[in-house]
Amino acid sequence: MSQTIGANAFREEEENAAELKIGDEFLKAKCLMNCEVAILLEHRCEQLRHVSEDAMNQVPQVFEKSLQYVKRFSRFSNQEAVKQVREVLSRYGLTEFELSVLGNFCPENAAEAIAAVPTLKTKGRGLDEETIQKLLDELAMIKKFQL
Amino acid sequence: MFLKVQLPWNVIIPADSLDSEGLMLQRQIVIRLLNEFAVKKATKDHGYFLAVTTLESIGEGRVRQQTGDVLFPVVFSGITFKIFTGEILEGVVVKVLKHGVFLKCGPINNLYLSNLKMPDYNYFPGENPFFMNDKMSKIEKDVTIRFIVIGTKWMEAEREVQALVSLDGDYLGPVP
Repeated sequence: MSQTIGANAFREEEENAAELKIGDEFLKAKCLMNCEVAILLEHRCEQLRHVSEDAMNQVPQVFEKSLQYVKRFSRFSNQEAVKQVREVLSRYGLTEFELSVLGNFCPENAAEAIAAVPTLKTKGRGLDEETIQKLLDELAMIKKFQL
Repeated sequence: MFLKVQLPWNVIIPADSLDSEGLMLQRQIVIRLLNEFAVKKATKDHGYFLAVTTLESIGEGRVRQQTGDVLFPVVFSGITFKIFTGEILEGVVVKVLKHGVFLKCGPINNLYLSNLKMPDYNYFPGENPFFMNDKMSKIEKDVTIRFIVIGTKWMEAEREVQALVSLDGDYLGPVP
């Protein structure tokens, strides 16, 4: 009697981010965009450098890898732009999770946005393609004009 | 997804460090919390622990009868990283094998993309192997890939998460 390994060995999912089924506590937890995490982790690096020149060599791997990742995958680099992005996205009635995914990918068009965040269209919240495009255009503006 | 969470934690101050008070004690608690946080690395429920951002409160200390240590219940805010099934993310290819590729994403090194989940991509062996489809889209080491998570697994012993991912979906695949 052999057991198929692979996908079956992984947790059976009632969890499904594509339907925003990620657990109540995570829906309520504040989600952070990569660019926001980059600012926070860079700030922490600054603090560590004040403690000692060597401090950065002793940070845990988790910190190091995450910092590398968010620096590479941030679309917005300055604090003011990041604030504006959150402000803009907050005006469209999105959940924290949806807001962060859009802020991370900055999709170019509504089709790409819906592919990344399927719940935009499945929940019937007045987010038609035109509205989504308007949202994306606002993000593109911020990106274009960030210092 | 990076999360900002508020968590309770029990910080234990050993008996021989208890001669400090007030701010010194608070400092001790913070230092121990930060160390324990770093050592813990990750949990099944909250994912990987990145950084403590604020100490929200320190409760009243309780003496532990057996050891004479004092336990302080604290609440702090911090940043964690957790991935969810169905989530769409971007990561980087670290290794290409005949049956699939390994990706890294944030603090996680073990995301596996099977060739069965790379529709229309074929394997090209060699010193620097890669996968490619007929639209000349290439998947090789250091390429950024947008994928969907189809399964996650918590490895208790290593305190790590592994994940299975897929390119089945619109706008998934190498990102220019």
